[in-house]
Amino acid sequence: MNLLKKLTGKRRSVDDLIFDSVNVVLMLLLCVVMLYPMLNTLAVSFNEATDSVRGGIYLWPREFTTYNYAHVFGESQLLHAGMISVLRTVIGTGLSVFCTAMVAYTISRQYFVMRKFVTIAFVLTMYLNGGLIPTYLLMRELSLIGTFWIYIIPGLIGVFNLIVVRSFIEGLPETIFESARIDGAGEFTQFFRIALPLCLPVIATISLFVAVFQWNQWFDVFLYNSSRPELSTLQYELMKILQNSNASMTSRTAADAFASAQGQSQNVVTPTSIRAAMTIIVSVPIICVYPFLQKYFVKGLTLGGVKG
Amino acid sequence: MSIQQTPTPIEPKQLTPKQKPTGFMLFVQKCKEQKVLLLMSLPFLIWLFIFRYVPLYGWTMAFQDFRPARPILEQDWAGWKHFEFLFTDPRFFEVLRNTLAMSFINLVLGFVTAITLAILLNELRNLTFKRVVQTISYMPHFLSWVVAAGLVSYTLSLENGIINIILTNLGIVKEPILWLGIGEYFWGIIGASDVWKNVGWNSIIYLAAITMIDTEQYEAAEIDGASRFQRIWYITIPGMKTVIVILLIMNLGYILESGFEAQYLLMNPMNMDYAENLDIFVLRYGISMGNFSLATAAGIFKTVVSFIFLFSANSIAKRLGEARLF
Amino acid sequence: MIKKNLLLLLALSLLLIFAACSNSSDSSTDADSGEDGEVSTEPVSYHVFNATAGRDLDTNTTRIGKLFEEETGVNFNIEYLVGDLNTKVGVMVASGDYPDVIVPDAAIDTLLDAEAFIPLNDLLEEHGQNILDAYSDYLHMFTHDDGNIYYIPFGATVNEYIPNPNIDQGAFWIQRGVLKEYGFPEVNTLTEYFEIIERYAAENPQIDGMNTIPFTGLTYDWRFFAFSNAPNHLAGYPNDGGVMIDMDTHEATVYADSDYAYEYLKTLNEANAKGLVDRELFVANYDEYLAKLSSGRVLGFFDYGWQFGDARNALRDAGNPDREFMALPIVFDGVDYDQYLDPPAFTSNRGMGITTSAENPERIVQFWDNMIKEENQKLIMWGFEDEHYSIAEDGRYFRTDEQLALASKEEERNETGMATFEWSWPRLNGTFSDGNAVEPRRQPEVAFADYSDGDREYLEAYGISTFAELFAQPDDRPWYPVWSANIEQGSPQQIFEERTDELLRRHYARIVLADPADFEKEWEDFVNAYRSLDVDAYENFFTEVVENRLNGEW
Repeated sequence: MNLLKKLTGKRRSVDDLIFDSVNVVLMLLLCVVMLYPMLNTLAVSFNEATDSVRGGIYLWPREFTTYNYAHVFGESQLLHAGMISVLRTVIGTGLSVFCTAMVAYTISRQYFVMRKFVTIAFVLTMYLNGGLIPTYLLMRELSLIGTFWIYIIPGLIGVFNLIVVRSFIEGLPETIFESARIDGAGEFTQFFRIALPLCLPVIATISLFVAVFQWNQWFDVFLYNSSRPELSTLQYELMKILQNSNASMTSRTAADAFASAQGQSQNVVTPTSIRAAMTIIVSVPIICVYPFLQKYFVKGLTLGGVKG
Repeated sequence: MSIQQTPTPIEPKQLTPKQKPTGFMLFVQKCKEQKVLLLMSLPFLIWLFIFRYVPLYGWTMAFQDFRPARPILEQDWAGWKHFEFLFTDPRFFEVLRNTLAMSFINLVLGFVTAITLAILLNELRNLTFKRVVQTISYMPHFLSWVVAAGLVSYTLSLENGIINIILTNLGIVKEPILWLGIGEYFWGIIGASDVWKNVGWNSIIYLAAITMIDTEQYEAAEIDGASRFQRIWYITIPGMKTVIVILLIMNLGYILESGFEAQYLLMNPMNMDYAENLDIFVLRYGISMGNFSLATAAGIFKTVVSFIFLFSANSIAKRLGEARLF
Repeated sequence: MIKKNLLLLLALSLLLIFAACSNSSDSSTDADSGEDGEVSTEPVSYHVFNATAGRDLDTNTTRIGKLFEEETGVNFNIEYLVGDLNTKVGVMVASGDYPDVIVPDAAIDTLLDAEAFIPLNDLLEEHGQNILDAYSDYLHMFTHDDGNIYYIPFGATVNEYIPNPNIDQGAFWIQRGVLKEYGFPEVNTLTEYFEIIERYAAENPQIDGMNTIPFTGLTYDWRFFAFSNAPNHLAGYPNDGGVMIDMDTHEATVYADSDYAYEYLKTLNEANAKGLVDRELFVANYDEYLAKLSSGRVLGFFDYGWQFGDARNALRDAGNPDREFMALPIVFDGVDYDQYLDPPAFTSNRGMGITTSAENPERIVQFWDNMIKEENQKLIMWGFEDEHYSIAEDGRYFRTDEQLALASKEEERNETGMATFEWSWPRLNGTFSDGNAVEPRRQPEVAFADYSDGDREYLEAYGISTFAELFAQPDDRPWYPVWSANIEQGSPQQIFEERTDELLRRHYARIVLADPADFEKEWEDFVNAYRSLDVDAYENFFTEVVENRLNGEW
């Protein structure tokens, strides 16, 4: 009860007490449901692979091993690929968020002559897809294939993020911008000095979206840079290891070949165990970085000061 | 948060008007006045054109028997053949029904739960607890669907599934239920799985919207003696309204995107009548057969439907006086 | 202020332009062309794309690959497929950016259509005598209508064919404890099979505290064929795909709605009514299926051996040999003998080809020609003498326990290059000229040494020396396997197969689980739906394939 009191904080009325208690209990239940899959995956990742086939691993490994991780980290490429992943996440997120916010600012200005045109031009592309092959050929024409920039340029602006940021900027009181203009601020200053800082919660949010997207991306590596190992990313290397552990099961036609590997060698990793280790390896950095962004959209923020 | 859009714009630089220009000249003049705004957006418009509109020439593939070996203009033309294959398939309407049903369920459930979670998180008084819960709530988002579907399937299994264990122990059912073996349950299972996996992640954007609400409003309401529910109803929800409406319109455009992996992974011979959606159909008869033409035709169909939903939703929002997309 | 903004924008645009212009360095080969006729051995590296799964590497980082490089100067940089095959090959073909060598697996038609491969005839004539010798019986099978050879398939059987001593293909499996319990009886027909399972299940409703699962199967996703292929095997036919080929008339007929399928489903339907069939038969995913098998409470199931290797390993680790499974050659009453074992097969529509991008393709052919030599094939298949195998006084190859363990270690196989070269390259099958098996696993000495004491108990009880001996020898089927016929992407046959797959999954489940009173009705429903497809065209297509193959046209 003491804990409950601590979690619900100081209260003012019976209604509040009931509401807070119910809320806290609900949230605790939610935590159980949401935490379980990660803990289960963690347990499987530390469980001996052949034993995991039997199923029934819950919160604790049955036959503890670090072999699954050893196998994954045994891949010499992994460290370099991890650095590329960090690089594309940092550069990709920085550029994308800045450009997205800037365009969002322009289309949030009611008086901008091209406002409607730019907005619609962007929105429509959310539902348009030229297809894989034409896109590939375009990237080839632009000489982006085999370069680092293929990770950054084609996805520079996310339309979803653009619209979200626009609606946040539109939500800011127009009077702030007016007084800035009276003080002689130009459009870029208004964007950089007013819109950007005041929309920090949404900037943090889309940064998170873009960063996670960049961090998890492997399809563009597969499509464009698969023959450039020096540009490979962490996720792609992990996909390779996973695919490799899948080898015995992928192809019916090559059955005979794989059976020979299987009849003789005991599989020490399975797709399930590799996938578990992969999930943990990929998620941990995100979960570590998360609190730094989280503070921007969990804490309240007062606009009163700037409203003045 | 004020969502009123100031109707009278103030030009960045007041030029002394010699005479009121009209039409094209007005446009040119305005462009001159707003060259900074133009410079801030036009490069990206060019980017957009190159990366998003140029590849659309690939739509011609839908009307061809596309073979990758040849340039796009030297393909054999096939007319409407691929659309016909799609629309005349005996299972097409079942597939479409499943797609729409699951998409609609996911849309409604997804919105309601994410908004509710954001509100409930916002009502937590202890900041540390709030941050911990929030962090935990989005964790399932980082599991791939392969892992997540495995857990869903296990949770629903006959002997070891927690759902059946709870239900039989509470005496609600006598015999454990074969959840994934009953087609009628499939849409619900997909909806619930989707909520479980994504609710925390989806609520982040609403949390961001809530932080934009001026805390003074809450303080004032408290002084006026407003109850918790009143504060939520009259301050928090209106504060999120713009974002909700905007997201709703955008997502209505994705009405034919009901997801793919979850359905594919949880599908089995007993529930496939309810599980197979447009994406799975296209995978089977398009992509996995190297038939890029059929995949493109299906893509065009989706775009047409998207536009219908998008423009309708936008004009409804406009008529209702809500925020709109464009 | 505006100037500052302009500068920033300029910088951004420059960035875009810079990105667009920064050229990718071409990673194609840097080989100097050798003198005419003479093939140089100076170092050269080729880029290989392999559409199956594996570990990316340079072949010269393996022991065997290093030796080969010393002999030929050629190194291969192998890239394996990670994502979707059709996507990868689609963009490859559309852009014309080919690696030097491709192993396209199922996408071979797309590449042939694109004329990505160069004809090899002259190159083989000039530099590939060993290949021509090894593949001499098979050349006509992969020579195309235009008289050209575009790729080298894998596994030309030379000398004598040896069937696999262990069952890695289809079979009805039974928990060995069931056989032991009743004194190692002979179980040959489906009726007998279900009788013994029913009896054991009645006497042992629980195993290790868990409910016994008398019969289950694999029905998840594309693996459903492991359920729907069974009637074909029960009828005494090998796995030719969706059709069975009559031995006399050589006609192809589908069996999905045949009397065999009817009898199979009827048996399962009755078994289901008796509670012998796993309730989750059509619901469990692949992992759950494997978990069930490895729990030791499953008594019987039909599957292909290579699909549940992980479960077998788990059972072996659990240390109770009676809970492991044994393959039985089950057939219908009235069928004379089974045909579970694969006849000698040559898959003519898979292979390794050289693309138009490769410079000095003769170097690659020379490498192939070197690796197909017997001594090199021994190196690839068996490893290094006295490390991975030993030679008995009579010249027979065998493996000691230590060698068995070493040769089955994944790291060791990667390091030596055995894992890299044993498939997806020109290779042999059958036996070497000294009578030893090309593949160690087919060498009886090796197979026998690999058996555990538990295995030996069962082998002795049935008076056999390998588990395959329970099965009948494969009949001669010169057309086998029909499923390797070239079915074009998006062709009516492929669409038929996709639709059939959908129908079978949906209806077979309903038929098996139906109340026995509704069985006939469900069966009728299925037959009607199935016959609304163009079955005849599909059968005719394969009849023609068989006919052509009998005439030597592959």
